[in-house]
Amino acid sequence: MRLRPMATVLALALLTCLMAPTVPVAAAGDTILFGAPVSLTGSLTKEGHLTQEGYEIWKNYINAHGGLRVGGKTYKVDIKYYDDESKNDTSAQLAERLIDQDHVNFLLGPYGSGTSFTVAGIAERKKMPMVEGNGAAERIFNQGFKYTFGVLSPARRYLEGILALGKTQKPPAQTVAITAASDAFSQEVAQGAAAWAGANGIKVVYNNKYPDTATDVSSIISALKQTNPDIILNAGHLQDALLVQKGLREQNVMAKIYGYSVGPDTPDFATSLGGDANDVMGGAQWSESVKYHGEPGFYRTAPEYAKAIEDTYHHHADYHNAESTAACLAFQYAIQRAGSLDSEKVRDALAKLDVTTFYGIIKFDSRGLNVYKPMVVNQIQKGRLLTVWPTGLAAAKVIYPAPPWGQR
Amino acid sequence: MHLVAQDLVNGILAGGIFAVVALGFSLVWGIMNIINLAHGSFIMLGAYTTYQLVTSFGLDPFVTLPFSFVALFVLGYLIQRLLINWVARAPILTTFLLTFGLSLLIVNIALLIWSPDTRGVHPAYAGTNFTIGDVTVPWGKVYTLIAALIITGLMHVWLTRSRTGRAIRATSMDIGAAQLSGVRVSQIYAIVFGLGAGLAGVAGTLLSLSYSITPNMGDPFLIKGFVVCVLGGLGSVQGALLGGLTYGIVEAFATQIDLTIGTQHISGSGLQDAIALVVLLIVLIVRPRGIIGKAVA
Repeated sequence: MRLRPMATVLALALLTCLMAPTVPVAAAGDTILFGAPVSLTGSLTKEGHLTQEGYEIWKNYINAHGGLRVGGKTYKVDIKYYDDESKNDTSAQLAERLIDQDHVNFLLGPYGSGTSFTVAGIAERKKMPMVEGNGAAERIFNQGFKYTFGVLSPARRYLEGILALGKTQKPPAQTVAITAASDAFSQEVAQGAAAWAGANGIKVVYNNKYPDTATDVSSIISALKQTNPDIILNAGHLQDALLVQKGLREQNVMAKIYGYSVGPDTPDFATSLGGDANDVMGGAQWSESVKYHGEPGFYRTAPEYAKAIEDTYHHHADYHNAESTAACLAFQYAIQRAGSLDSEKVRDALAKLDVTTFYGIIKFDSRGLNVYKPMVVNQIQKGRLLTVWPTGLAAAKVIYPAPPWGQR
Repeated sequence: MHLVAQDLVNGILAGGIFAVVALGFSLVWGIMNIINLAHGSFIMLGAYTTYQLVTSFGLDPFVTLPFSFVALFVLGYLIQRLLINWVARAPILTTFLLTFGLSLLIVNIALLIWSPDTRGVHPAYAGTNFTIGDVTVPWGKVYTLIAALIITGLMHVWLTRSRTGRAIRATSMDIGAAQLSGVRVSQIYAIVFGLGAGLAGVAGTLLSLSYSITPNMGDPFLIKGFVVCVLGGLGSVQGALLGGLTYGIVEAFATQIDLTIGTQHISGSGLQDAIALVVLLIVLIVRPRGIIGKAVA
């Protein structure tokens, strides 16, 4: 053998490490360093990248406008990322590394409820304030933790809007079938939807879960089809939404409303489904149509923010972008109000924060969860994502009931 | 009752894809004793080959099958010659580590080239279907199953009839005897690894019709391929086919299990994976070498 096997393996391993998308930065005296483990590979890659874009656009805005003024001194901001491979345990290990080895000042959350849950445990143990914009499961906030804050409306509210909308249509939707992935977020979404439906006179005719690693859901769809529901809801993430929507089409399952917790808002949903994406609804934390007027210090309205995302990343602004940016904004205003980088003072300022931004109100309940911001419902109409609920914010009239397959 | 028939159809249609996913993995494992953890990333590359050809030249996804096979065959052949050959006789952990590293490398390169955006191909027949009684059958998946059966059939004929195919089987039976008969083992290994990759590419093409294309799409199929080829029997074409169909059908029926024991509600669909693995355990207890009884390795 001319080449030693271990050397080959080591070389390859080294090469792989070099390929891993981490962005090294050095903490300096006049820089506030944030740390974030995000899903740059793995099952939540797309959502992870949207999260990173949301963080980056804030960082670039702040630095381009001279930095952040805290207690008479101006700081640049920087963010150190590690790829958590969409794995909960890896995310927690990386958070620990960010705190212990990279000495970040504050933590920004990873993408997803599973990762946010494990990282919250580390933040608590290290007394490190973390604001996250991508973990909506209430499980994260029901542990009595003091250092984790979430800018999201909770998971159980994700699909309520779609049910409420269905109830007010003519003829009103009377039955709902719910499918859900088995992860914590999706389960809370499904439970919330089932509870809301039950309390508001919509009959739950099917409610079942599948493993979040599923590659085929056709048998779930066959069972669901037998119940002939008015509304079909899926609680899951982008890949679930694509799998379910394709399956519904393949088995010609007709409903008045097709609704997803995550999926339709991500541009990929429409690009990978083509016409079959039309008339689908998604619960969303934010949309370009929301009409908030934020405090100075960042883009103040949704259209301004959306334009900045489009100019920078060449795709329409996704709510995952917005909620991630909102996590940064929570830190921005809390740090300024604390007038200090001291972690305890910033934590206290976060707990007391009450600020309106382009994203909506950011204010935390005693658990650290932003229960004060409403959600919206978006519908894809002829390839465009438009807000259709609540009516006050609607940019278009809802298409109801959804036309048959093949006519969209 | 029609749900039983529908589940059987769903299971068989899904199983055809699992069979092709497992086929290449099984050959490499059975013949070379290498558990190729980069198999999932080869599947992904096959899907992207199809995506590129469909979007650039407007080809039908099925027409791209030979292209993804050849492209991945060449890649696999080169990887075996340039990398894996050096560690072919090393302990299994070494090849494990090497193929795992390769997989990370390929996925990260794919992320750089194609970004994490989810993509898909939608030919006119995607989503169309026909019905037999109450059972709905999607055309796209029927074509996929037919393609899968043809590919496994061709593989079987080639391995049993052709000179190279026989040399491959001879190598897997007794490497020393094969060498004495003039078989160049390193050449055979490169062909087998190329074939494994080529078949992964084909699986990627077939998956692109019903599954979204992302750099990480191969991950869940690696695990399924692993289970399917243990289930069916290593290194065997019929084993991969039978294993794939069994796995698909078990998964489909597991979905409909709905039990209430005391206050505990058990939904089979949440336990699909667990149930499929229990079936694997049972098969391994009853037939330790998989459904097709003879181990080639």
